[in-house]
Amino acid sequence: MQGTQPRESWLSATDRLAPLLMLAPATIFTLLMIGFPFVYAGYLSLHKLTLGSPTPPIFVGLDNYFKALDDPVFWTALRVNLFFYAVGLLLELVLGTYIGILFGQPLRGVAVARVLAVFPAVIPSVAIGLVFAQMFDPAQGLFNFGLRALGQRPLAWLAAPNTVLQSLLLVEVWQWTPFIALIVMGAMQTLPTEPYEAAVIDGASGWQILRYLTLPLLRPAIVVAAMLRTVDLMRIFDSVYIMTQGGPINSSMTLNVYAFTQGFLFSQFGYASAIMLVLLALTALASASLGALRRRSSG
Amino acid sequence: MKHLTWREAVAKTFIYLQIVFVLFLILFPIGWMGMSSFRYNVDITAYPPKLLAPVTGENYVNLVQINNFGRIAVNSVIIVTGSTGLGMLLGVPAAYAAARFKKQKWAFLILLARMSPGILFLIPWYMVALAVQMTDNYLTLILTHTVITMPVIVWLMISFFEELPPDMEESALMDGCSRFQVLWLIAIPLALPGIAVSAILSFIFSWNYFLFALVLAGSKTMPLTVAAFQFIGTSAVNWGGLMAAATVISIPPMILTMFVQRWLVRGLTAGAVKG
Repeated sequence: MQGTQPRESWLSATDRLAPLLMLAPATIFTLLMIGFPFVYAGYLSLHKLTLGSPTPPIFVGLDNYFKALDDPVFWTALRVNLFFYAVGLLLELVLGTYIGILFGQPLRGVAVARVLAVFPAVIPSVAIGLVFAQMFDPAQGLFNFGLRALGQRPLAWLAAPNTVLQSLLLVEVWQWTPFIALIVMGAMQTLPTEPYEAAVIDGASGWQILRYLTLPLLRPAIVVAAMLRTVDLMRIFDSVYIMTQGGPINSSMTLNVYAFTQGFLFSQFGYASAIMLVLLALTALASASLGALRRRSSG
Repeated sequence: MKHLTWREAVAKTFIYLQIVFVLFLILFPIGWMGMSSFRYNVDITAYPPKLLAPVTGENYVNLVQINNFGRIAVNSVIIVTGSTGLGMLLGVPAAYAAARFKKQKWAFLILLARMSPGILFLIPWYMVALAVQMTDNYLTLILTHTVITMPVIVWLMISFFEELPPDMEESALMDGCSRFQVLWLIAIPLALPGIAVSAILSFIFSWNYFLFALVLAGSKTMPLTVAAFQFIGTSAVNWGGLMAAATVISIPPMILTMFVQRWLVRGLTAGAVKG
């Protein structure tokens, strides 16, 4: 024992440093890839600059933010963002909870259905965009064929300002409802059995059990799902960019797609950064309110 | 098996009917995609829609021969494997430290990437990449995709490491192993299923990610997702080709998902469940 004394103190010294050394690479990576761009985007949002020109960025204060206030497309994008967030989240939560409870039933064969049901959430949004672009096609698409077969008038789907948002919402809800269902299904597997036995003995109806037992027990899982979807719905990009790029005539423009357009098509990097920081603030606000709801429900 | 009453049988049938109906709605677009990818354009756009039509592999042959999807698939594999490997290298030790030394607060820092809109980072990345002439470069794409993979790996591995009993690690420390030896010789081998799950989920996330490569990749490094997207503009009416491209990029994540089904919730909600 005594012979190992110096070795142990050397070891305990490296062991004290071990957590630091293990965390360091990931921390440095995060600071370089996230921390630096975050600060730089803040800097850019206060400057006007032209890409490739030798003149340094000009400090313009909050001009980029004021510019957004006067920009009708910014307000359109904000409205579209909030539409997708509010309506999308509501539909996904209601349908996802329903499907989650349905597929969470301990029935024979349901395990296979559970595996298949998550596919929309795990395949690339580009693939989903391509399939729906086909089905939405006004002249050759499957949806209008279906309407025609039912004797209904065809719709323009993605091609008209008055139907584009509902069409994109349909894709978004189809793609992400299974994700919420998956979380609810997982929570269904961990429900305690005693309250159910007690409820049956007390003669509760199926509806009463659902309303006063299952739903309250699932609430924490549903709030987690809502928080995750809030972050993703607020920064909705893939499906919109792939299918409409914000059109026709900006009618499906979201803040993320608008910033992308301003930045990478028009080289307005200062303005694009300002829009993104506004979006980040809105997302943080929405998440924080859900976080407060969650603490209240678990407390 | 116990005998069902009339009422129970009806209720059960009703539940099964709902499950079949919901499953049909969920799988229909994916089925349509796969089915159309093996058809000629005239049959895809035929009215009334055909249930049965001649089968052809032409769309896939064209994808490889004309659109060079074989070469593009290699790009995807390089980017996805690279970002998964780098994510593991950075994420696994960090997750171990976070799990064993109660540094969960630190791990929330890693979640920032998940919260923020990607374009916020993409603008500075793009400007830096232009300045150092690193656009259309594998390393740039691997580094940016690691921003997606590492947080998933860190949060998944924290939960796997926390499940390991600490006894073996403690006795190894008593025997004079360093923390790094304990991690490498004991914790990682014991957490191997977790490592596999993290790698697979990280692979799926990186494979599906669209935005970064849309801006940072060029003709040399373009992954399948971006190639399939650009395919839309060049061949708006070649539905069969588009559906074949969509099917090709969907198959790997669908197959991998089946292996990690049990851990999918944990992976998709990484970080949010504990908070």
